[in-house]
Parts: sequence; C-alpha cells; structure tokens
Amino acid sequence: MTGQGEDVNYILALKQELRGACKKLPYYIDHVVTKKDVERYANKYQENDCKKDWIPDWRRLPRELKPRIKRIKKTNTAPMVSQPKKPQTVTNEEVIQKLEVLEKKDSEHKSDEETEEKEKNKDDEEDEVAEEEYDEEECEEENDYIASYFDDGDNYEASDDNMDEATY
Amino acid sequence: MTHFETQICSCLLQAHYGEIVAKVGTHLIRTGCQPLRLIANDTETPIDQVKKALCVLIHHNFASYHVHKRGFVEYEVHCAHIIRILRYPRYIYSAKTLYGDTGELIVEELLQNGKMTMSAVVKKVADRLRETMEDNKTREHSETSNTFVRLVQTHFLQKCGLVSESVTAEGSQPSRAPTLITDEKEMYTVPNLSVVAQGKRRRMSEDGTEPKSKRSKPEHSDQEMEFVGKSGDSGGGIITDLHRALASLARATVESVVQERFGSRSARIFRLLLRKRHLEQKQVEDFAMIPAKEAKEMMYRMLSENYISLQEIPKTPDHAPSRTFYLYTVNLLPTARMILQRCYKTVVNLINRREYETRENKRLLEKSQRIEAIMASMQATGAEEQQLQEIEEMITAPEQQQLETLKHNVNMLDSSENQVDETIFILESYINTTRIEKEVPSKR
Repeated sequence: MTGQGEDVNYILALKQELRGACKKLPYYIDHVVTKKDVERYANKYQENDCKKDWIPDWRRLPRELKPRIKRIKKTNTAPMVSQPKKPQTVTNEEVIQKLEVLEKKDSEHKSDEETEEKEKNKDDEEDEVAEEEYDEEECEEENDYIASYFDDGDNYEASDDNMDEATY
Repeated sequence: MTHFETQICSCLLQAHYGEIVAKVGTHLIRTGCQPLRLIANDTETPIDQVKKALCVLIHHNFASYHVHKRGFVEYEVHCAHIIRILRYPRYIYSAKTLYGDTGELIVEELLQNGKMTMSAVVKKVADRLRETMEDNKTREHSETSNTFVRLVQTHFLQKCGLVSESVTAEGSQPSRAPTLITDEKEMYTVPNLSVVAQGKRRRMSEDGTEPKSKRSKPEHSDQEMEFVGKSGDSGGGIITDLHRALASLARATVESVVQERFGSRSARIFRLLLRKRHLEQKQVEDFAMIPAKEAKEMMYRMLSENYISLQEIPKTPDHAPSRTFYLYTVNLLPTARMILQRCYKTVVNLINRREYETRENKRLLEKSQRIEAIMASMQATGAEEQQLQEIEEMITAPEQQQLETLKHNVNMLDSSENQVDETIFILESYINTTRIEKEVPSKR
C-alpha cells in the first residue's frame, strides 16, 4: 500500500531528522541541571542559547503558568519562579530577617510585614532554582505555621470542654 | 486511555520533548484533569518545571486547560494528538508532493513549533529557502506567502482561536482574531483511496460531518464494494461513501493481518466468514475445503485471539448444546479495535527496541561522530590525504561493520514504525467513522 521505495526512504529520513532536531529546540526540557560546582571547559562550547529563547504567547496561557521575571543576574537560567497567591518566595536572608522581626514584634503586626515583604520581593534577586524550591517550601511551611497559629489556639480553647483528646 | 496508548504517548513525549514533559504528560493521561499543584505533588516534580512542561504541552496542542467551576484551572492531555507525532513525516511529505519544497518547509516549521504567526513562518521559511538557493529574496517571500495561504485554504493549516484572559486564569470563549496565529491541524494524509473524487483531502478532514452528509443508504452485503454512487435523482452527481470505503480498507487490513499471523488457510476461512457472515463449523469445513481437524484447530485459534466470534442460536428453550446452532462470525468493529491496540503495542516495542540498540552502541556511535567531526574540520582546513586516511582508520573494520549493522537495524525499526502507523491510520479512521454512524440512528 505504501507504494514506491522512494517515498519510504524519504519519509524515513524525515522522521530521523525530526527526532534529531527536536532535541535542539527550546521545547526539549532536560532533567534538572545539577549545580555546577566547577565551570566545565566543555560548557563554554555548548550551545545553550537557543534553549532559553522560547517565550510563550502568554495571552493563550493561564496566568498561573507565568513565571516572575527575575532581575538579569544569571542569564543562563530561565526565569521560572512560582507565584503563589498569598505567601511570597523569600531568600534565606529575608527568612532570617523575618524571624528576627517576628520575635521582637507582636503577632498583630505580622500582616504589615507581609505586605511590605510582598512589595520588596517583587524587586528581589533570586538564587538558583534549587534554592528557590527550597525557599518556597520553607516559606510555605512558615506561613502554614503562621496561618494555623491562631487556629490551633482556637481549637485548643474550644476542646477544653471535652478534655478527651491529648493536647499538644 | 488504554495501557498501550499511554505507553506510546510516554515514549513519544520523552523522545521529542524530554523527560519532564513526558512525566507530566503521562501523569495527566492517567489521571484525566488535574490542577497545577496536584500535578506537581503527584509527580514529585518541582513546580516551575511542571509549569514549563505544561506550557510546552499546551503550545503544541497536546494539552488544554479550562476553569473548574470552583475557580481553579485544570489541565488535560489529548492522547490522540500525541500519537499523531508518528505521522508528522507523512504530513511533511504530502505537503512536499503537493506544494513543493516551500510547502514542505512551512509544514515542517509548524509541526516543530506547534503554533506560529503567519509572518513568523513565512520569514523563517523564506530564510531557509534563500540559504539553499541563491534566489531573489522578495520573490521568495511572496511565493512563501502564497503557498501558506493555499495550505490554509486546503486545511493543511488552521488558524487558532484567540482566548480572552480573565483575572485568575484562563479565558472564556475563543473568538477569531484578526492577527493570524496558525497551527497544524490534525489531518489525514494523502489517502490510499483512488476512488475518492477531487478535493479528497478536504473530505478526509477530522470533522465527521462531511462523511455523514455523503453517506448513502444502509449497506447490504453485496454492496460492500460500492462506495462511489449516484446522488439522488439529479443524475449528475457522484458521491463517495467514505464510511464504506474505510470499512472496506479496514477489512482488507484485518484479512492481511490474519494471513500473516495464522497462515493462508486460516485467511481463507476468515474471508469465507466475512463473505457469508454466519457459518457453522461443518459449513466452514466444506466451503473452505479443509479437513475437519485442521479447520477446527485454526478456528479455535482465531477464536481465542478474538479475530472471530461464536454466536449461539438455540433451537429449543432449554439451550441444550446438542440442539443449538453454533455459528461463527466476524465482527469487524471489535476485531479492528483489538488489532489497533496491538498496533499501539507494536509501536511501543519498536521504539523501545530502537532506543535499546542505540543505547547499547552509544560508545561506538559517539566515537564515530567524533571522528566525523575531526575529519570534517580537517578537510575544511585543508589536510593531506594521508592524514585523513589515518583518522579514518581509527575506526576498525569490525567496528565499522557494527556501525553498519546498527544503522541498518535502526532504519528497519523506524520504517516499521511508519508502516504500523499506516495501519493505525486506517483502523482509527474506520473505528471513528463507525462510531459516528452508530450515533445517528439514536438522534432520529
């Protein structure tokens, strides 16, 4: 049914060419690149530029997929930072800062801090991807802690009547 | 999605878009719809990588999103579109035969890039054409534009609808926008049907409405081969019954599968059953002129693999076996479905085997590529004949032989994939049009 051998060979060649070309396009996402401890000689001669060139048409995609634009400190890594609604990603220094501040101030001032940090974070430099992930989790944990701080307190007082369950 | 469909998608996504996209895509095939966070959690992938992967999937029309009524965005993947990757070379080739090199490059660019604006495509293709030949630049642009327009008119390419963005996530209704953004439509390739009249490509387009309108009255067994007929009383028109044509093709495909798998005598029995619809064991033996014992064996074998089926017709109310007719028959639709699944499995096996072969010989392949690169650079800088020969001899003769064998095997496996895809095309077309036909009576 296929017909002549010419067709078959040409289609075969096309197929193999497509497969090879795909790997060089920016749509090909490799496994997570491990942090470079030493700058490898080979990396200088590898073309990584084309991989980061693709910018999707954001009009056609949900906003949640859009990364936050980093300040151009590292031109190699693509700007891909998640943007959660309430909690913001913070760097390590800021986390420590935040902790210190929270220790000193009352819990009532916390919301002010958060809004200040929100504005601050929009201009912040970010570390590499791995650290961002770490920060995000840490930040979320922190915010979970903060968010449930009052909740736990409420439940604690409420369950005073029952006294059935063990309290923390 | 079936197990094999999922596997095929996983293989194809991995080969063309990398491990992360494959992981996210496969996960969504298995789970159906999911929001972003859930995908990241379930696949244990960092969320920014999931985002990238989703962007790639949506951009290439493998995935889409919608807003759940509770306000968050859900993503889903379209398996059939991913499996269509197997057919990309054929699309490019048919564009080439109809619209020349320009058409070929346009289709290739769009297939590789998912969606592009017309201006971007025309520019890129014109540049590529200009590189290969020393031609007048302005002429190439207009020629490319014209070819592009013709491709759109004949439905090789299709404009994407524009979505309006709302605050949280996606947009509502897609509407046609003046700015052209086009993508490759999932289309059928140059059909093997020679009976179909001109404009066949349009008829073979994805939407099932066209075949419906052209269908003639319900078929009788002796009208199986008639798929070109007169329309109505006007006398002048010729219609093509696509569904019947597809059924006929599917039948031929299944027959040849039976032949290859069970032998020519079983194929004879199979064709007999196709023609006579329902036959008893004894009748089969007589008509096919095959001894009883062998006939029984062949038929039970085909029965066990679901190529033929058995129907009981009781003569008495108590369904006693001695007073019941047992008729063998062929149900084309379920058989076609079963063979289609086998095709998917075959493709998975072919891909795995090819990748295995490549992996096993990776060291040798890399060595040969390095040597080629060295030779190319040496030739460019003008090296002596003897030096080139020395480099060539770095690959020993047995290694050369190994490379040749590897290349031969890989080519064979690749061609086989293409051929199986052809079978997939026929069977899928038949199954999908049959489904449409079955829906019509209920609507009446």
